[in-house]
Amino acid sequence: MKTRVLVVDDEAPIQRFLRPALLASGYDVLSAETGAEALRLIATAAPDVIVLDLGLPDMDGKDVLREARKFCASPVIVLSARDREAEKIAALDLGADDYVEKPFAIGEFLARLRTALRHAAPDRAAAPRYEAEGLLVDLERRRVVKDGQTLKLTPKEFDLLTVLVRHAGRVVTHRQILAAVWGPAHADDTQYLRVFVGQLRGKIEANPETPRLIVTEPGIGYRLWTPDDGV
Amino acid sequence: MATERELDRRPDPDALLAMAGREGRGKLKVFLGAAPGVGKTFAMLSGARRLKAEGIDVVVGLAETHGRSETAALLEGLEQIPRKKIDYRGRTLEEFDIDAALKRKPALIVVDELAHTNAPESRHPKRWQDVEELLDAGLDVWTALNIQHLESLAEVVSRVTGILVRETVPDTILKRADDVILVDITPDELIQRLNEGKVYLPETARRATQNFFTPRNLTALRELALRRTADRVDDQMVEHLRQAAIEGPWDTSDHLLVCFGCDGQAERVVGAGGRLATRLNASWVAAHVATAQAGDNDPAGVKMVDDAFRLAERLGAETVRLSGADPVEELLRYARRENITQIVFARPRRRRFGAPFKTTFAEELLRRARDIPIQLLDASDDDADPGPRLNWARLFRPRWVGLAAAVVAVAAASGIGEVLSLWLRLPNLSMIYLLAVLACAARFGLQSAIAASFLSFGAYNFFFIPPLFTFTVAEPQEWLSLLAFLVVAILTGSLAARVRDQAEAVRQRADAAELLYDFSRKISGAAKLDDALWAAAAQLQKAQGGHVVLLLPEEGELRLASVWPPMEELSAGEMSAARWAFSKREPAGWRTDTLPNLSFQFRPLTTPRGVVGVCGFQPKSALDPISSEDERALTAMIEQTAIAIDRSLLVGEAVRSAALEENEKLRTTLLSSLSHDLRTPLSSITGAVTTLRQLGDRMPPAARNDLLASIEEEAGRLSRFVANLLDMSRLESGAVKVRRDFLDVAEVIRTAVERCKKVFPDMRIETSLAPKLPFIRGDSGLLEQVLFNLLDNAHKYGGETGAVVHARQQGPDVMISVTDEGPGIKPADLQRIFEKFYRGGRADGRKAGTGLGLSICKGLVEAMGGKIEAQSPAVRRRGARLLLRFPAVEVEKERNP
Repeated sequence: MKTRVLVVDDEAPIQRFLRPALLASGYDVLSAETGAEALRLIATAAPDVIVLDLGLPDMDGKDVLREARKFCASPVIVLSARDREAEKIAALDLGADDYVEKPFAIGEFLARLRTALRHAAPDRAAAPRYEAEGLLVDLERRRVVKDGQTLKLTPKEFDLLTVLVRHAGRVVTHRQILAAVWGPAHADDTQYLRVFVGQLRGKIEANPETPRLIVTEPGIGYRLWTPDDGV
Repeated sequence: MATERELDRRPDPDALLAMAGREGRGKLKVFLGAAPGVGKTFAMLSGARRLKAEGIDVVVGLAETHGRSETAALLEGLEQIPRKKIDYRGRTLEEFDIDAALKRKPALIVVDELAHTNAPESRHPKRWQDVEELLDAGLDVWTALNIQHLESLAEVVSRVTGILVRETVPDTILKRADDVILVDITPDELIQRLNEGKVYLPETARRATQNFFTPRNLTALRELALRRTADRVDDQMVEHLRQAAIEGPWDTSDHLLVCFGCDGQAERVVGAGGRLATRLNASWVAAHVATAQAGDNDPAGVKMVDDAFRLAERLGAETVRLSGADPVEELLRYARRENITQIVFARPRRRRFGAPFKTTFAEELLRRARDIPIQLLDASDDDADPGPRLNWARLFRPRWVGLAAAVVAVAAASGIGEVLSLWLRLPNLSMIYLLAVLACAARFGLQSAIAASFLSFGAYNFFFIPPLFTFTVAEPQEWLSLLAFLVVAILTGSLAARVRDQAEAVRQRADAAELLYDFSRKISGAAKLDDALWAAAAQLQKAQGGHVVLLLPEEGELRLASVWPPMEELSAGEMSAARWAFSKREPAGWRTDTLPNLSFQFRPLTTPRGVVGVCGFQPKSALDPISSEDERALTAMIEQTAIAIDRSLLVGEAVRSAALEENEKLRTTLLSSLSHDLRTPLSSITGAVTTLRQLGDRMPPAARNDLLASIEEEAGRLSRFVANLLDMSRLESGAVKVRRDFLDVAEVIRTAVERCKKVFPDMRIETSLAPKLPFIRGDSGLLEQVLFNLLDNAHKYGGETGAVVHARQQGPDVMISVTDEGPGIKPADLQRIFEKFYRGGRADGRKAGTGLGLSICKGLVEAMGGKIEAQSPAVRRRGARLLLRFPAVEVEKERNP
């Protein structure tokens, strides 16, 4: 069975190119122009991944996301403008898996779509392993190897790396990391995070000054680079 | 212990602060001499030449050579500021030109004769005030001063030398001077120079000064000058010790309280107190204690108190006015609170008339001030006591109404007595006369009461003491009762009169309070700035009598904001006084130190946030100072005015910031709509292009063609949007050139419809044009743009049914309408749809369009002299109709008028 993508966007021109592009890439495409329609389709057609524009005519895209998360675990990719930082963060905190800024090239969009789908796949979620640029992270055995040498990480550094590896290729917001590693009470203490990310980069990056693995998403959070990001 | 000492050795912060306060201000060097002719100017100019030679920017502001060649020679090579010529009553006076000096702004300026009194209508009455201003402006000043001109010494000097000193300089000037140089020669030498004619003396003063230049006088003056300089050196030593935190018994920390009443001694007491404080190197407070004496409410007393306070301030005192039910207690409470170490006041002279059984204030104070040393000043004088003299003068200035009332009252009492004595045998009819005296006292005051007492005395004797109808008295014991009557009459009369005066004073205070209450009520009721200003000016005028002006700053210049009663502009002098008051935050004009010859006084309107403006007023009477009651009321009113102005300014600012916020919101909406309108077509173009490039070969040809078509359409949309934006900005900047050609409306409509059909091939457009439409004036390109925008809207909002374009003549106008059968426009939106970036909501909640189309149409139509309006519903309760009207032009008439 083909993977089914639901595209929720009220702009006809966007639908007009996304639909043939997704069809040509081998997906099934469902389209919705309003939030209500989107929720109906999510409930009835069970899409494998949802592409959600946040500016919908009848309701806020974030509300659609909040509703959808109550009964659907499929990955959600948010379409948003570059200047709507707060909106993106809110969407990610609400459970969106990634975002793509408009205007976007189709290649990047499809790559994000694939990443989101792969991490949603149940067999991979059990024992995540991460391998890139000579770094190997084995979460099950709590082992981090860099260029053949086992690294010594502090427990907090390891927890931090765990969160990033579990979301490899996708954005994790500051709040999400802080809540997972330090607990919900510290969800706003971004300064901790800066310090620990700096330490972690010092240990795992080849060149900590120009980090390649832990990529900063300015104002939003971090993303662990994966080989199929390409960039 | 050690740490304590360490702490003590820190430099005294007050001393350092005082030093810091002096920074930014120019330095003052005073050349002090005992008498004219000792060579102050010579010394000063020699010094100036030396500095000039060292390359310092020295300018001579004014130097008096008195025709002496040696001094004049010194002036050569020094830059001099030309003197200002002032025409005054036919004479030309030459004065120091302070404005030129401030404009020249040298590093050091020499200004001779600090005690000089400036010509009338100068900015400041005294030259030392000019020097203060120069110092404030940051210029260093050198000046010369004779010791007899020092305010606190003027009186001593005139007592010792017998010469009245009129020009005085406040002691604080010398105290604050950074350097004092004593120019000294011996008296013999000076007398010799005088005899040789080396000392200039004006012809008129020559005889008077013959007595001045005696060895005795010169020695006394020299001693004063030497002592004063030595005191200063002492002070400097102390200050140096304090700054350097050197331990020593240097802190005298004496704090004197000099009290004075409202009699003629006030200034003398303050002067003596000031000298004492200087001698003790003590800080001091001048206090006036208001007692229940009538003097506190009479203008002469008030003037004396005010003058004494002014003198005290010039001598460097703090001033305080105390009052209370128990004045002695008030004074002692103040003294204890402020850690006063000595109370100083004048030795009481004699008991006041009319209070033989009361202890005086001084006696009471001596009795109760057990913990504070008291120093009595012997301020009495051989002269007649000026205090009581003034009271007597007041008493004897005849007030005819009161005197006539006394005559009438006594006559009436006599008549009543005669009538009563016909029936009744009264043992003593004097009671009836006492009633008359009391009535006069209560109604007309002391003068009337005393007159009535004497008249009663005569009338009683004449009418009722045998032998009747003569002034002779038969029985000797009758003399006794007559005299007793007179004494009782005068005493009760004066007591009643005092009660009346006090009641009068209370009434005045109540009036003042009433006025103030009225004022604050009126002014707080005023919502707008103009109302507040008007109410303030009118109320101040009611209290003050003359003209009242309020000036507010506007673009850096003070402007008349309110005047009452109406008058012409202020004179240049008055404006400069107002500016002075504004910039220096000090009163200026009438009875101040700055431009005192004006009829207006200007006071700054200060609030905690700063100076908001200036209030100018003409006093009730130009000669008398403002009484302390009036002054209090005036100060309160000016304060209230300032607060009211400040408040309405704040309200204005709040409104402006709300508008700004609104503006900000609009800008945010505009930005987000702009970014949306630009980004959506860009997104779909980018998306389509990248899709074609990456996935094109996997797509069916139909899908590829559709993507290409969408690229073309979106590019068109983008370009229309950009064109609209450009149109809008051109319209707003006025860059659109509207041609006024004769237009055939039908032709323009046809062109617009053609163009629309090209862009929206599936759109149905009907046209119904009346035959023989008249021409209109306009620009065919712009009208076509308008029609296209309207059709575009009809396509966007009108739905499937398409649009109808209709044109006909209606009265003097040509009317063009574009009607659609869409959902229509909500009534609330009918006006707003022409606003920039306003978008009508669509039934399905989707927003479309840029919100620019209709506002551009409106701009263009109005530029062509037409009107545009919207109607909805248009047909069968649906749809919207946009109506254009242009005045029809009859071509023939236009061409052949």
